[in-house]
Amino acid sequence: MSTTSQKHRDFVGEPMGDKPVIALSGIGETLGKKLEEQGFDKAFVVLGQFLLLKKDTEMFTDWLKDATGANSRQAGSCAQCLKEWCDAFL
Amino acid sequence: MPFVEDPAHLSIARLKSDLLAHNVALPPAASKKEVYVELHLKNIDQKNAAEFSSDDEEETREAARESSGFEHSRDKDPEVTQMPDPSDLTDEYLREALLKHGVKAGPIVASTRTLYENKLRKLLLHSNGDDELYSDSEEEQEKRDDIESACSVLEEQKPEEAKKIKGENDKADLHFHRRDYSYQQCFLLSSRLRAHPSRNEKPSSKSLSKNVTKSSERSKSKSSHILAGVSKASSTGQHSGLRSGTFSITQMVQEMESRGSLSDCTVKELNSSRVGEHCSRSYRFAMNDLDKSRSTDQSLYHTPKDVHPPRGMKLPQESGKPILKDLFPDTKPTTTGIYVTPRRPIKGAAQRPVQYSYSYPDTLVSPVTLERREVERRLVSIHIQILFFFFVACILFYIYVNVQDSTVLALLDSFSHCFDKEGWAFLQPGTEGTQAVCKQD
Repeated sequence: MSTTSQKHRDFVGEPMGDKPVIALSGIGETLGKKLEEQGFDKAFVVLGQFLLLKKDTEMFTDWLKDATGANSRQAGSCAQCLKEWCDAFL
Repeated sequence: MPFVEDPAHLSIARLKSDLLAHNVALPPAASKKEVYVELHLKNIDQKNAAEFSSDDEEETREAARESSGFEHSRDKDPEVTQMPDPSDLTDEYLREALLKHGVKAGPIVASTRTLYENKLRKLLLHSNGDDELYSDSEEEQEKRDDIESACSVLEEQKPEEAKKIKGENDKADLHFHRRDYSYQQCFLLSSRLRAHPSRNEKPSSKSLSKNVTKSSERSKSKSSHILAGVSKASSTGQHSGLRSGTFSITQMVQEMESRGSLSDCTVKELNSSRVGEHCSRSYRFAMNDLDKSRSTDQSLYHTPKDVHPPRGMKLPQESGKPILKDLFPDTKPTTTGIYVTPRRPIKGAAQRPVQYSYSYPDTLVSPVTLERREVERRLVSIHIQILFFFFVACILFYIYVNVQDSTVLALLDSFSHCFDKEGWAFLQPGTEGTQAVCKQD
C-alpha cells in the first residue's frame, strides 16, 4: 500500500466493468495504444490474459514486456494491480 | 507473433533469451540494445533461413570460447539433438516438456505459447548449463540430481524422495545463489532448510505427511508443502524469481498478521521483496503458527481476505476476519476458498455511473448578467419599435388633418399618393408643404 499510486487504488477499489485499458496502473497512452492494436481494447481483456497465465505475475510481466515493450516497472505495476483486483473481486 | 517480428522491436531480455536459445555468445553485459539486435539479426535470421547449419554452430562455438561469458553453448549440441526446438512442439508436447522441468503450465493458446516456449528454452539452457558447471564433483552432481528430482517430486508431493534434500542443504545454497533462473522452488526449499539447520538429522517419513505429531516437523512439512504450492503457483521464474516467492510469502505473512504474530517491519521487508534472512525469520514464526494450517492447496486457493484490512479495503471484508479466525483453527474452509460477505454498492460500476453533485455550465455567468443580456437584446428591438411607433403616429396625424379639408375618396386618393411621397415629404419642415404636394396630384 505504501507504494501504490492513485491510479492503482482507483482500479483496485471497484469492479473494472468496462474501463479502458488505460485505467490499469502502469499503462499510459503509449502502452494503451499498443495493447489496443493487439486487440486488448478493454481492461477485462488484459485481465483475461492475466488469468490465462494462471495469475502468475512473473509470466504476465514477461508477456507485457514482449507485447508492448513496457519496462519492468510498468509491467510490474500492472501485474500487481491485476493481482490485487483478482484478490478483491475474483 | 513477436517471434517473427523485427528484432529491434523486442526487449533486451527477449533478445538475450533468443540469442541464448540459438547458441550465440552474448555480448558483455553492458552492451546496448543495438549490439543485441545485430547479433540477433546475424545469427537467428540466418538460422531461420539456413535451417540450423553446422557451420554456424562452429562459428558461434568459437566465438563463445573467446568470450568471457557463458560456457553452456559448448554442450548445446547434444541437448538440441535430444529435444527439438520448442517452437516445433505441439501444445501437448510443450506442456509435457515443461512438466518434466517442474513447470505446471496453464492453457497454451496463441497468446501464451511464446511465453511457454521461451520458458522451456531457458530451462533447457540451464539444465545444460548446470551440467557444465557442476559436472566436476560427483557429489554436487548427485545433489543437483536430487534437487532436480526433489523439485519435480515436491510438485507431486511424494514424501520419500524429498527426504534426500534434507541432508544436503548447505551446498545447495551455493548452487542457487549462482543460478538466476529456474529451480526457484528449490531455492525456497533451501532457504527453508537454512532456517532449520538443526533439524536436518530427522528424516522421518512422517515429516512430510500431513498428519504429524511434532509441531516443528509438522510445520516444516507444512512449509515445504506451502513452498511446493508456492512453486506451483509461481512456476519456475526468472531473474528475480524471488518476486513470485515474495508473492506467496506475503500471503503467508498476511495470514500471520491476522493472528498478530508478525511485526510490521517484517511485513514491510517481505513486501519489498527481500527474502533472505527475513524469510527464515518469518518461517520460524510460520512454524509456530502454522500448526493448524492447511495443505498446499489451501494456501494456493485461499482468498486472502485478511490481506485487505492492512491495506484499508472495505469494511465488510474486515467483518469477515473474525469469521476467518474462527474458521481457521477449527475446520477447513470451503473447497473453493470463497468467503461470501455482503458488499456495499459500488459507485462507478456498470450501470451505476458516478454522478457528481452538480454540473458546471459552459460559461460561468450570473443570473443577473443573463437578464441584462436579454434586456440588451430586446433594447435594440425596443428602439426600433419606438421609432416605428412615432412614424405611424405622424401618418395618422396627417390623415387626421386631411380628413378636415376633403371628402373621403379624395382623402383616400391623396392618402395613397401621399403615402408614396410622404417618405420624402416627411423630411421637409411644415405640414402645409405636404398638403400642397398631395393636392398638386
